[in-house]
Amino acid sequence: MLGNDPIIALSARNIDKRFQATKALEDVSVEFVQGAIHTLVGENGAGKSTLIKILCGIYPQDRGTILLDGIECRFEGPGAAAAAGIVVIPQELRVVPAATVAENVTLGQWPSTKLLGALPILDKTRMRAMAAEALERLKVSLPLAARVDSLSFAERQMVVIARALLRKARGLILDEPTASLESREAQRLFELIEGLKAQGVAIIYVSHRLDEVVALSDHCTVLRDGKVVARRARGGIDKDELIRLMTGRDLEELQQPHSREFGPPLLEAERIDGAHSERRLCMRRGEVVGLAGLLGSGTTQFLYRLFGAAGTKTPITVEGRKNEFASPAQAIKAGLGLVPGERALGLVMSLSVRDNIVLPNLDTLGGRWNLDTKGMDRLTKSLIELLDIRPRDPHRLVRELSGGNQQKVIFARWLASKATVLLLDEPTHGIDVAAKARIHRLMREFAAKGGGVLFASSEMVEVVSMSDTLLAMRQGRVVAEMARGAGEFSERALRAYLGG
Amino acid sequence: MNAAHSDHREATARRSGIRITGRTLFEQMPIITLVVLAIGTGLLTDRFFTPTNLVNILLQASVMAIVAMGMTFVIVSGGFDLSVGSVVALSGCVATWVMMQAGVAVGIGAGVAIGALVGVVNGLCVAKFKVSPFITTLGTMVVVRGLALLLTDGRPIVGDDDGLPALFLALGRDRVLGVHYLIWVPLVLFGLLTWLLHMTAFGRRVFATGGGREAAFLAGIDVDRITVAAYAWCGALAGVAGVMLAARLQSGQPTAGEFYELTAIAAVVLGGASLAGGEGKLYKSIVGVFIMVVLANSLNLLNVHSYWQRIAVGMVIIVAAAADQMKARKR
Repeated sequence: MLGNDPIIALSARNIDKRFQATKALEDVSVEFVQGAIHTLVGENGAGKSTLIKILCGIYPQDRGTILLDGIECRFEGPGAAAAAGIVVIPQELRVVPAATVAENVTLGQWPSTKLLGALPILDKTRMRAMAAEALERLKVSLPLAARVDSLSFAERQMVVIARALLRKARGLILDEPTASLESREAQRLFELIEGLKAQGVAIIYVSHRLDEVVALSDHCTVLRDGKVVARRARGGIDKDELIRLMTGRDLEELQQPHSREFGPPLLEAERIDGAHSERRLCMRRGEVVGLAGLLGSGTTQFLYRLFGAAGTKTPITVEGRKNEFASPAQAIKAGLGLVPGERALGLVMSLSVRDNIVLPNLDTLGGRWNLDTKGMDRLTKSLIELLDIRPRDPHRLVRELSGGNQQKVIFARWLASKATVLLLDEPTHGIDVAAKARIHRLMREFAAKGGGVLFASSEMVEVVSMSDTLLAMRQGRVVAEMARGAGEFSERALRAYLGG
Repeated sequence: MNAAHSDHREATARRSGIRITGRTLFEQMPIITLVVLAIGTGLLTDRFFTPTNLVNILLQASVMAIVAMGMTFVIVSGGFDLSVGSVVALSGCVATWVMMQAGVAVGIGAGVAIGALVGVVNGLCVAKFKVSPFITTLGTMVVVRGLALLLTDGRPIVGDDDGLPALFLALGRDRVLGVHYLIWVPLVLFGLLTWLLHMTAFGRRVFATGGGREAAFLAGIDVDRITVAAYAWCGALAGVAGVMLAARLQSGQPTAGEFYELTAIAAVVLGGASLAGGEGKLYKSIVGVFIMVVLANSLNLLNVHSYWQRIAVGMVIIVAAAADQMKARKR
């Protein structure tokens, strides 16, 4: 043995990578040690994904070397990297939905045998044994014969990790693995990662969730603008410092004072979680209402129902007028606006910034027959200024914008349509700390100007810090209602209701 | 959103000066192809750049241009229509059949209306019953062709002893201001449809529906209605094309319009529209039509056997679709 010296499994030395004029990575060096968890943190665009893609052979680096066990290597693609034991678990899991667990775990390494000693066929017995062994190593029990499309996201993730193990993975790269997990599932994943770590696997972990980073990291590397700005080891990792390092500045306290003065009721709905329910929702002008719920708890469906996008009609009162929206068009006319959880659902990527902003209001903003393009341009330019959308070009296609700017375009749309009620589904899902703060500020400003904000989130800290009133949902039911300043209003109380 | 992507986007944004030229060149590919094709043919045979041949090309393109303009609506809306060839046949037969009973105007109206009706059926199947555009229009393609054969008993409609009404026959033959009626029709429709697709709120909604159906729905657009409208326009325009073809052929032919759907789709894709929806330009589809027509014309002039012509057209369709995919992957 080498005593206590850590064994470096994989390292990157002086990596440079450019995309045309942009430096994505500049002189980045990182070492990944066997049997340790190494977290990579940084804002969107800091270079984390680029680094991962270079490590696993998706991109070639412009300069610098990748060393595996001290030997320089150049992977010709993700297949070659996987063969060498470097496996990535991406956010979008690569599974064959219609195939079984056993088939998916052993994918790419299906054992074969010979039928009657001649015809090659799939050796199902051995395949099942291989899959069972890999899952056993993870201490996970999944039905081997079940189709993967019948599994939850967390279970599919296990399948993909088991597949990586079967490939004798020595370096496991996890890209935002908890982004779509409930907290219990995330806990389960952490145990599993700790188990792999004990088996000597080098874990490379990318996450926006700094609490996880602090809890899990043996080593932590902070990237900013393509450069390594800090390296920390267990015990020396502090969340506030991480934020400072990632953003390059102190983050002012997000907690703006919560308003105590609300206007008249803006949006009211009865029996909000089913015909037999007594729960009602009453949102006043200037109020931010949070819908707390884990993935699949029904918060998204609730927002869609209010917006008339769920195919069923829900009685709803907006500014005293009773309504039942059969379509989003009617809801928009009444002053509602929806910001969906996935930006691809909120924006038409092949249209320009301007066309996306005016989309719900083509009749009023554009003129019935001939579009008033000059007026639309003026309006768009003013909103681009107001929300600081970059680049400042109304005619740029939205798919050419970064994620944070795309989110602002959706906001701009509802400002343009003079919406009074904003419904937001996971408004800060998967965006970095600084962009998140900007979105939170936009939500607050919207409420401060007399609008109402109803947002759904699975992030407890966010719900508690943003909401004036919050509803906790579980399995499609509202299980609790809390108001700031009345009784307990805390993350702990919320978790007790949600079982998170 | 991953870092590399946003990096990449910022990078492309910054070096926009360089990008413009490359992209512009790529976007003008259809016109460049057409010009190269025409000049190449002109060099190989002196029969290409003659007034007779050029008028012939315009006449051949006129019917297909109308079908392709309708197809552009459907493709931009995110769909696809295989039934237009059959609609061309049925509307020609219906128009000639009706006009012998009720006069030319009613006949033409009936021909266009039957096309629109098929379009509405296509649109409803796709929008309301969520049948894929491919299966829906494959089905109506066969059904409509069957109806045309049923109506005519498989024989062309050439009228009674006196033939079809003289006014209708004149429409297929005569000129006004020195230009055939058949060429005027697509010219006028081109202006009207360009306005409708590229300058009105309706047009923006068609683009939005094709570019992101769910996003358009959540922005308050009645995507089902837009889908039905796009198919209805496509069907009606195929109906117009069918009536024109009947006028040119001086008869209602139940077997007319074969492969028109493929030629029209190929023309639209050659014109740079995306089969994924949300992208396309009407004038470029017209350029695509001319590429197809000039290609066929030049193969004719060069005495290439018609069997080979089919093979060439098929290959052009595949090349156009491959280019469409490459464009999609570049993002």
